[in-house]
Amino acid sequence: MLRKLFVVLGAVMVASQAGLAMAANPDTGPGCGLGKLAWADFKNQKNIAPQVMMATTNGTFGSNTFGISSGTSGCTNDGQVWADQKTTMFALMNFENLTQEMAQGKGEHLASLASLMGIPDDRHAAFFALTQERYTALVQAGETSSVALVKALNDAVAKNPVLAQVVSR
Amino acid sequence: MPGLRPSAGALFLLLLPIVHILLFLLAGLLVTTPVEAEDSTVPYLQQLIEQTRSARLADRREWHLLLHYRANLFGGYTSEQDDPGFFMAPNGKTDPQAELDATLTQFFSADLVGRSKQSAQCAFVARYAWLKEQLNFDPTKLTPIRCERFERWIEEFHARSVTLVFPAAFMNNPASMFGHTLLRIDQEGQTAQTRILAYTINYAADVPPEEGVAYPVRGIFGGYRGYFSTIPYYLKVQEYRDIENRDIWEYRLNFGQAQIRRLLMHSWELGNASFDYFFFKENCSYHLLSLLEYADPSLHLTDQFLFWTVPADTVRLLAAQPGLVSDIAFRPSRVTLIRRKREHLSEPELELVERVARDPSVGQSAEVRSLPLARQAFLLDVASDYVRYQGERDEAKAAVFRDRNRQILTARSLLRIPSEDLLVLPFAQQPELGHKTSRASLGGGWRNNDTFEEITMRAGYHDLLDPERGYTPGAQIELGSISLRHYNRADQSRIERVTLANVLSLSPMDSLFHAPSWKVNVGMQTITHGGCRLCSNWVFNGGIGVATETHLLRREVLFAFAEVEGNYSRAYEERHRVGGGASAGFYVDLAERWRLLATASYLRYALGDRSDDVRWSVGQRYTLAQNWALRVEYNHRDHDNDLLFTVQAFF
Repeated sequence: MLRKLFVVLGAVMVASQAGLAMAANPDTGPGCGLGKLAWADFKNQKNIAPQVMMATTNGTFGSNTFGISSGTSGCTNDGQVWADQKTTMFALMNFENLTQEMAQGKGEHLASLASLMGIPDDRHAAFFALTQERYTALVQAGETSSVALVKALNDAVAKNPVLAQVVSR
Repeated sequence: MPGLRPSAGALFLLLLPIVHILLFLLAGLLVTTPVEAEDSTVPYLQQLIEQTRSARLADRREWHLLLHYRANLFGGYTSEQDDPGFFMAPNGKTDPQAELDATLTQFFSADLVGRSKQSAQCAFVARYAWLKEQLNFDPTKLTPIRCERFERWIEEFHARSVTLVFPAAFMNNPASMFGHTLLRIDQEGQTAQTRILAYTINYAADVPPEEGVAYPVRGIFGGYRGYFSTIPYYLKVQEYRDIENRDIWEYRLNFGQAQIRRLLMHSWELGNASFDYFFFKENCSYHLLSLLEYADPSLHLTDQFLFWTVPADTVRLLAAQPGLVSDIAFRPSRVTLIRRKREHLSEPELELVERVARDPSVGQSAEVRSLPLARQAFLLDVASDYVRYQGERDEAKAAVFRDRNRQILTARSLLRIPSEDLLVLPFAQQPELGHKTSRASLGGGWRNNDTFEEITMRAGYHDLLDPERGYTPGAQIELGSISLRHYNRADQSRIERVTLANVLSLSPMDSLFHAPSWKVNVGMQTITHGGCRLCSNWVFNGGIGVATETHLLRREVLFAFAEVEGNYSRAYEERHRVGGGASAGFYVDLAERWRLLATASYLRYALGDRSDDVRWSVGQRYTLAQNWALRVEYNHRDHDNDLLFTVQAFF
């Protein structure tokens, strides 16, 4: 009986500690597996989002991954994307729109990606021109993985005299 | 395991009734003596519970909104919420006061509750904030708990304003018929270019993949659970604009910071909730309205919807609230975008685009390169849009189209100029300008040698002759319509017509778009056949066809269908006949408010009652106002002529 009580108490202690740790929810993404995902893995746009979600969570797309106050799961924390995964996730999910806009030298997905990368609004035009210029190399990187695309973009920005100075990296 | 409360709380709940009885006895003894404040928490809790009773907080609208209570038909309340973890009292679903007492009790505990596994103060931040405001919690007696998860979460929105997002219906998927609504939480510093980074608040049924046939049935009868989520807007834009080809309308709501905070606080609580999803009533729009009501309790929205909640109606309702909606923005679907861009192309240019889409190397040919740079860019952009559209439509060849798109875009990137901005206007006007969902018609006319009066009620939604403003052109969806007629000479009253469902989708074909048109009709009409006068005839009809549009007057659409039909009536030998045939017709807008629709069909029935059927009809509609119209319709069948005048009101 006494032993039982101890076991229960112990369980409660562990549970409450876990609860504390969970309540704190430190903002560090556990690396949700986006880095391994390449665009070529997807047959078409329709399966990209659900597959990413399936790959990174144990539930269906949407209700679990982005579920409000649902705790941590894969790429999200209480339904919001981890800060350090935002850019990669955006690049992966919008790769088809991004390739089109990079070639066209403008667009809302490209502008949003620039914002995520910390490029101020007044330098967006320079960033667009850069992506158009490097189109082929960037798309090749993107076909490998979204992480590679973001890295290639960051490298290109770092080497660009107009952009390098404004992006704090 | 949601719904399991820590044992201390449970014990307390068991004690509550006893405490109540004691309090009642005490109150009898000390009628005017105020309860003395003591240091332990228990008396303070009782003091608070007493305060809620004297202020009747459990009857307040805010409390009912927070817990989603609805008045029952015969007194009492039931919450629409179906997750037991959302309630702190075992009978919380039906007893607002018990839930209030239990919620206050739980605020004194750090035990984790609800699906989100937090202390009650943090799991139910909106309840806590409201009760704190009403009861002036004494922080020394009820220790506030810091809610780091919630604070981080609400901060992450950088919320500055709220926008209602309405993706319009599209025809190829009946489930989208009613459209959808979601909220977007717009961020500080957001521009038109970075709107897609904002989070949405979205309520949707959790449908297992590969559900198939069970989906509509379970969706209609509450077989799924609905949950709230914060899907980034860019995923929603992709889903509607790129994949489903639905136009999106965005309505900025004039909510202040305090209202936005209330909305987000209650959203956070709803992470512990789930609702049985009912496609027609308790759907996405309905629950979003309840969120907006809590943000601003002076809004009365959900109680306007008794039987069904049609998203377009909720948009109309919000647009009708004085001063609530300010900016309205439009986001074209890919098809709308291509069709608008095509208006800027000459015939030879369009042909060139089609060739580039088939063979991307044409994009770098001398023929294209001889054009001015900006023109080259425009042609390649349209070709790229079109190839993406094809890739979405034909999944088996998606990879082929993706490769073509890459080649087109490579050529495009070599031009080194940005694309020009193009203002893309919608083909369908704003949904809030459209007529309301349900329709009542009153009229009369002649049939053969008799006169009649007729009344018709139609639950929803829109047919080809209804005022088109605010609706997708060429899309007809009629559900649940019944017509009663009284024939004067025959002195007979009868159910003249019943429509269970009558859906018709006209997609004009051209060199770029080849989607077929289709139609399905299930219902009952009154016919005269053989020796049977005024007999009920059940009809099951389906067809596939083509449509094309011209612009001789304003806009005309011509269509033709191959169709099959089955009839069931006592007028026929063996009570049925099955056959097939063809129909053709057109509609034309003679003036902005005046439309004419004409159809003719020939069907031959080879099974059952062997017979054939020649029908033609001409109908005209004149729009009086947004929700009022006049009609005259003439229907001809073999030895059977029917002329009907009606006035129609939408409500």
